[in-house]
Amino acid sequence: MAVPVRERALAYAILIAMAVLVLIPVLAGSLTAFKPQIIWISSPPVWFFQPTLENFEFVLITRQNWLHLRNSLIISIGSVLIALALGVPAAYGFARFRFRGSRGLMQWLISLRMIPPIVVGLPFYAMFLFLERSTGLGLRDTHFGLILTYQTFLLPLVIWMMRGYFVELPAAMEESAMVEGYTRIGALRRVVLPVVWPGIVATALLNFIFAWNEFFLALILAGNNTSTLPMAAGTYVVRARVEWGNLFAVNLIIMMPVIVLTIFLRQQLVKGLTFGILE
Amino acid sequence: MKVVLKDLVKGFKSADAFAVNRINLEIDQGELAVLLGPSGCGKTTTLRMIAGLEQPDSGRIYIAERDITDLAPKDRRVAMVFQNFSMYPTMNVYDNIAFPLHAIKMDRKEIDRTVREVARLVNIDQLLERSLRQVSGGEAQRVALARAMVRRPEVFLMDEPLSNLDAKLRVQLRTEIKRLHQDTGTTFIFVTHDQEEAMTLGDKIIVMNRGDIQQVGTPHEVFFTPRNAFVANFVGTPSMNMLPGSLRVEETGRIFVALPGFELELPRRFAAGLRRMSSHHVIWGIRPEAIRLVSAPGGNCVPGLVELVEALGSRDLMFVRAHDQLFGVIVDALDSVAAGETCLLHFDGAHMHLFDAASELSLLLDE
Repeated sequence: MAVPVRERALAYAILIAMAVLVLIPVLAGSLTAFKPQIIWISSPPVWFFQPTLENFEFVLITRQNWLHLRNSLIISIGSVLIALALGVPAAYGFARFRFRGSRGLMQWLISLRMIPPIVVGLPFYAMFLFLERSTGLGLRDTHFGLILTYQTFLLPLVIWMMRGYFVELPAAMEESAMVEGYTRIGALRRVVLPVVWPGIVATALLNFIFAWNEFFLALILAGNNTSTLPMAAGTYVVRARVEWGNLFAVNLIIMMPVIVLTIFLRQQLVKGLTFGILE
Repeated sequence: MKVVLKDLVKGFKSADAFAVNRINLEIDQGELAVLLGPSGCGKTTTLRMIAGLEQPDSGRIYIAERDITDLAPKDRRVAMVFQNFSMYPTMNVYDNIAFPLHAIKMDRKEIDRTVREVARLVNIDQLLERSLRQVSGGEAQRVALARAMVRRPEVFLMDEPLSNLDAKLRVQLRTEIKRLHQDTGTTFIFVTHDQEEAMTLGDKIIVMNRGDIQQVGTPHEVFFTPRNAFVANFVGTPSMNMLPGSLRVEETGRIFVALPGFELELPRRFAAGLRRMSSHHVIWGIRPEAIRLVSAPGGNCVPGLVELVEALGSRDLMFVRAHDQLFGVIVDALDSVAAGETCLLHFDGAHMHLFDAASELSLLLDE
């Protein structure tokens, strides 16, 4: 496609302006993460200084935020894996079979995404408490408890996104494989999943970001053993003051995996998010 | 292998509309059978039931005397080529063709030998290493053919495999499918809505409409002796000229049909069928190719005005208005009459068709 130079220049100008607007606070914050404590809040801000890792050392080792990092990784990766394992087959079912109430179920699923976390947070807490008292099954302050809770939000996202990818594919693709000697599951595994792989990657990443950034449910349901990085970040905002350098050090640690994953998977991601639009 | 469908029924959601309405059919070993009909007539559903992709509500399906009705598609030893899909996009041509062989855990050497042999058969042996992007529509459909052949199925099922190709390719691949059928000697069942495709390909044509089989016969039989008005109208392009009429039999035994505005004499071969009629109402028909232009008036001749002429190449299709009825007439381009001029049409009794207006069955059926 040939886009006229003037239009292209305009498009780039707008994109750059937006990028600057979004990135300046991130950049300023990230710089602070490397500043020694005395210049955290100096005004005007200091732009050139000898960078130090003392903030990272403080948060990760002194305040043991590496444990939170570990919790976040376990919970996020676990949530995504379970959501994919359950959601991808469900999405395939919704895409290929019509059954009584299938439309209603899909709409119910999307409605789950519209619920504010607080609406499910407290009932989950109550449920966990009840389970613990009646059966001794402890889910409060466990990784699995949070992973389970997050499915409320992740499963609908996985099912809706993946259903979209499956619907795009001609049913003849699996049917052909089925006539050629495979079961439906075999056809799904060997033919369909490789085709929608970029979609799975995009879905996994979006779900990972949700679970990774999630703060509120973790605040209610996590405890000392399971508290996550966003919760750790919260501890640097104390009543009287904000420990800016430490806060931004944690923030940077929070941002890193998402940035790295996005860069690493960007081709799959673009393919996945534009599935069926671009040839 | 011989394919037998027995009392096959398949209904969809609404209770009174049957997609396939208790059909019985036998397709012999090595035959190329074509299921022909308009969209929604049940031909694709029938094919998909043979493949196992749809489950019949009742009835049985046999391949080579083996009841396969309850078998999974993969266990039926059939192969299918689809209309809108031909390649697995994540695999190259070679892997596409090898794919069915992996299902039966054939060893690598044997796979390689088979893939190359089959690829040669459909003239794509030079494309084996290509990816999907480097393959044209016609080549992709050849890949689908190769993939279907690679497991040496007992029956080939083809669901409008040529419909998405352009006209020239379609004709070319049609010839190749015919050749493939001759070379392999396997039973083929081919679904199409294109009656020209059906005529050129089929040993046997099964005309379907609204879930029922209308007629089973050779291309000649369905063209020259259509069993009912639907087949007469559906088979042949341009389609048969058809008019409502009523019969009149004279004491001498001569039979006439009164059409809107004029009357024609019918040959005696209709006399037998006449006895089965419950009323004198009929549908009269004659193919555009069977109408002649004559210079002198005589029996069964009608004057007309040429309204429009379409060139078909060596022949012309003229639309002639006679007694306020519009007739399609196909004549040699050299004999064609220009639009706006008059001509004289002759309806030869030997080529006329008559159908009972109530049952729409042909009066020429000998039963």
